[in-house]
Amino acid sequence: MDAFVRHFQTKIRFNKDLILKSQNRYFLLNQELKGFIAKDFYYAGVYLGKDKSGRFYSSFNLLEMIAKKDSNKVIVNKKTEWLFVCGRDIFRKGILRLIGPNKRNYYTLVLNQYNECLGFGKIVSEVAGEEEGIFVKNILDLGDFLRREK
Amino acid sequence: MSGKEFFMNRYSELGWKNEEVKPRQAIRINTPDRASAVVERLSSLGLELEKIPFLENGYWICKPKFSIGATPEYLLGLYSIQEAASQIPVTLFTELKEKVILDACAAPGGKTVQLAVLMYNTGVIIALDVRKKRLRALSNQLERCHVKNTIVYRLDATLARKLDIRFDCILLDVPCSGNFVIDKHWFSRRTIKDVGKNAAAQRRILAEATGILKDQGEIVYSTCSLEPEEDEFNIDWAVNNLNLKVQKINCFGEKGLTDIFDQKLDDAIQNCRRIWPGQTQGFFVCKLKRGSSD
Repeated sequence: MDAFVRHFQTKIRFNKDLILKSQNRYFLLNQELKGFIAKDFYYAGVYLGKDKSGRFYSSFNLLEMIAKKDSNKVIVNKKTEWLFVCGRDIFRKGILRLIGPNKRNYYTLVLNQYNECLGFGKIVSEVAGEEEGIFVKNILDLGDFLRREK
Repeated sequence: MSGKEFFMNRYSELGWKNEEVKPRQAIRINTPDRASAVVERLSSLGLELEKIPFLENGYWICKPKFSIGATPEYLLGLYSIQEAASQIPVTLFTELKEKVILDACAAPGGKTVQLAVLMYNTGVIIALDVRKKRLRALSNQLERCHVKNTIVYRLDATLARKLDIRFDCILLDVPCSGNFVIDKHWFSRRTIKDVGKNAAAQRRILAEATGILKDQGEIVYSTCSLEPEEDEFNIDWAVNNLNLKVQKINCFGEKGLTDIFDQKLDDAIQNCRRIWPGQTQGFFVCKLKRGSSD
């Protein structure tokens, strides 16, 4: 999880005593919840993500925590917001603003004009590069909530 | 004993005037502090919203032109799709902030999210359900709507005392027979025997909940069943057998029935609310406490 957060050129300090693992899933509790937790819980507090096949898969809660830090972010326009949550990549023309170094191969959060986190992706071209083409390759977007239910 | 005619005759005997049934799609805003901003955003998408008069954070959707479950605003957890009548039970608790709450039959989680919203994510919600698929749906709702104060267990509500917790508030939105508004094949699927089985299961849940309720605690009991066996008869049983009192509530709906099929029930059952289908689905709700009635 720490390695995943570092991909965004930032760091989050978790209180390890408040992180619980259930099977392959990680949850962040607060002190009050901790007083009520039993070992066979299914879900608790803030879901952070899961390990699968040696990889960490972030939750949207964790992305939101990263978004509160100084991290790589791209702010997109309304049309691109919709396309992104439908699973599409981001073209340069849909970007309103870039925050952070946002170099090629870095992970970046994707935010809408209200600074709400829509997901994240990988930067696949140089910031100062050509006008056309994909800038952020979609890795995870909010449309995942709908895809999970299918 | 089943079929449309059988059940419709029962409803007629219970006093339903068989008015037009046109349930409307409804949403609930999950960010009450900035509800108007969310409403404005939804309006800008082309959604026409109408405030539901009997709910603080509920809106009818007028002539939806697209799926309201697939907007970025929905995926961001700014609102939930929740039938209007089913938004009522959670609003009946006196105070929720900082409390320890049991949502005994929680999945798919609409009311769990509503509890968390009204608690401002303080205190603790213990949410139970038994089926794994439903637990997944519940977890997704909690993540989507930024709920942070909930622990979910895969546990039958009739075994809730295993948790060894005493609760300030208990929500019993119990599994029920449903109603014909939400299931177009309802009349061909349901018999009065099913209703009896459900009513018995609901009594077991009521009894279990009473055993883990704090002395000054509150239970809100609700069903989307129109059958009095699952509604007024069960509450009458709870009053007579579990030492519970029905509290007066101020919400949408008609008084609970006290004279049903030649049986006279406790007068306090009038404090329950029965909602016949119309703009909403059919529903029944009441609030219970130990000790004297208000």
